[in-house]
Amino acid sequence: MLTILSALIVMSIGLALLRASWLSRRKPHLPFLIGGWLFIVVSFFILGRELSGEFVVAYGLLALAVLAYAAVALTVEVRGKRASVGVSVALEPEVRRTDWKRATAKSMLAIVLAGIAAIGIGVAFAVAMPMEVQDRIVIGGVLVPALWGGGMAWTLADAKLLRATIILLSVSAVSYAVAFLPKILM
Amino acid sequence: MSLKPIAHDVARKRKRPLLSSKFVQAMLAGHSALGLAFAALIYIVCLTGTLSVFLPEFHRWEQPNAPLVTEPVSAKAITEAAWAAHGQALIDDASQDIFLSFPSAYNPRFVVNYFNSATRKDGEWVADGDGRLVMRVVAPFADFLGELHTQLHLPRTLGFFIVGLTGVALLSSLISGLLAHPRIFKDAFALRWGGSNRLQQADLHNRLGVWGLPFHFVVSLSGALLGLSTLIVGVLAMAAYNGDSDKAFAAIRGPQPIVTGQPGPIPEVGPMIADVLREKPDARLVSIHFQRIATSGQLVYVKMRTPGHLAFGNTYYFDGNGKRIGQGGLEDGGVGQQILGVLQPLHFGWFDGIAAKILYAVLGLALTIVTQSGVAIWLARRRDKGRPAERWERIWSGLVWGQPLALAITATAALFTGRALVLIYLAVTIADIVIAVSVSSASLVKKILQGLTAATLACVAGVHFYKWFAVASDPASYWIDAGLLVAAAIFLVLTFRTRRVTGPSYSLSRDAETAIAG
Repeated sequence: MLTILSALIVMSIGLALLRASWLSRRKPHLPFLIGGWLFIVVSFFILGRELSGEFVVAYGLLALAVLAYAAVALTVEVRGKRASVGVSVALEPEVRRTDWKRATAKSMLAIVLAGIAAIGIGVAFAVAMPMEVQDRIVIGGVLVPALWGGGMAWTLADAKLLRATIILLSVSAVSYAVAFLPKILM
Repeated sequence: MSLKPIAHDVARKRKRPLLSSKFVQAMLAGHSALGLAFAALIYIVCLTGTLSVFLPEFHRWEQPNAPLVTEPVSAKAITEAAWAAHGQALIDDASQDIFLSFPSAYNPRFVVNYFNSATRKDGEWVADGDGRLVMRVVAPFADFLGELHTQLHLPRTLGFFIVGLTGVALLSSLISGLLAHPRIFKDAFALRWGGSNRLQQADLHNRLGVWGLPFHFVVSLSGALLGLSTLIVGVLAMAAYNGDSDKAFAAIRGPQPIVTGQPGPIPEVGPMIADVLREKPDARLVSIHFQRIATSGQLVYVKMRTPGHLAFGNTYYFDGNGKRIGQGGLEDGGVGQQILGVLQPLHFGWFDGIAAKILYAVLGLALTIVTQSGVAIWLARRRDKGRPAERWERIWSGLVWGQPLALAITATAALFTGRALVLIYLAVTIADIVIAVSVSSASLVKKILQGLTAATLACVAGVHFYKWFAVASDPASYWIDAGLLVAAAIFLVLTFRTRRVTGPSYSLSRDAETAIAG
């Protein structure tokens, strides 16, 4: 218990140093930045004296997130109504011309075609990679949501529909060829 | 030649941000569109997911008179339980597979399941330390909550797919949100509360999202994979297993029993456990799965957990004669095997005791707030631009604050009946939206629903305590009641809290306010 408490204290010091570095008016304060990360790494090693490697990573990242939330909450800047005057300089989402046809096409690309391409790559990986059967199926499976999510983010951000369509169709064609060709050739 | 122009050029290049503003704006546009399209689904899945961390505790809360088993279950009691379950399964026309889940320090219940995939019948009992089936498991709210989170009470395949797709959308939002955040480090600790609503919501959204990113990434990836597994394996089966999904699943799950139809004796599990303990002396029994029990082709999966691993345990396969035929490698096998082992524990936060669950609840709630604030930012931006979407503000408020109310009313109903819970939940959700469109402002919708939720949570805790206090033997029952009362108090405080934020939002000159408020 004492070890875990020590790790949490060291992690908190690391977060405090990072905060001081990143909130400095000019450039990030380098010694604080390096020191902050160093303290956090050390806190993981301290956790390792009490917990196994798998638990260190899981608990370390969970604790880091919750302690950072606490740090943010403790240093909240409370403002009055008078603060809301001035000119906004925040970045805005890109303004695009859109209609229902374009919105449908985007949805088809991001949800359907990106999904088809991602499943194709995952299945191709599961069929063709020179690994143990369980390893390639599970890793291929994990690739699907990761690639689908990435593809979705990209297609929704890219204003050029044709480019996204061509790339996704090409990726799908290649991946399904890799996945199904052995069966067809048999 | 002077070096000044070159130095100047280098300095200018250094100042150029890593992500151009055009790229960030494009990402923001995609992030915004995706977030709005899936907001309601992501919100419901995140909220129910946060509560699902405590599903085992809700099971205990709903049946606090069930026996608790604090000592390790003996081999004799395991055999007793297997025989008793087999007998009961025959009576219930559900004999095929039997699953024994053993008590642990975190969940001192000995639970017995059986099911038959052909008759589609099943049963679930709580057993005592001697392996006697004591009472059927009755946990309508926990079952309701679990199904809402995993399949939205839709038909299984469709529900899993939609929840999986929601996980992909969440994952995609995390990626685009990250790429749309050029000041990720600089603003990592900045939270400005009050003043501009949009800035407040943006700070909350970004701070909760950024620090919780590893957790949010893991739960959305694992959730998406769990939801989409049927689809992925279906395509894999077409490519490599002649369209047989069962065969493809078997490649992951391990050996499958042979359907012979011939009877066979139920094997003794004591020697199987001893066999594993010879190899892993500190392993602890987690569960035993009899597949095609009491037939000549039966198999027994013995799951045992070695300390230090996140997986529920490793699976050791035995044939009907008690001979070991392999193991799953879920704790120390290949990469894929280990991923398979940690998928569920990491998704639900069930890899350790209450500390892990509390951390998961905090971060799950953070993800729910990130979803809520994402839409709030969009609504605030519209208001700032002089185009307020008042009806949508009220509907979003009705959905966000109506869900805790719908779940609380469903939990109250579940104390009296296990039927029609889905209808009750749907009716309350629709009523919330009707209230939202009928009331004059979004903040009033919020206050009404927060107040009603506070009252309902206090009511469910009170009614539960009154119903069970004379017979409850499980302390988890009182802890959950206390938790519900704390939640009720929080909702009450929220109801009477006065807001300091204003409608239109404009940033001040501080450089940190160039942060993304979109």
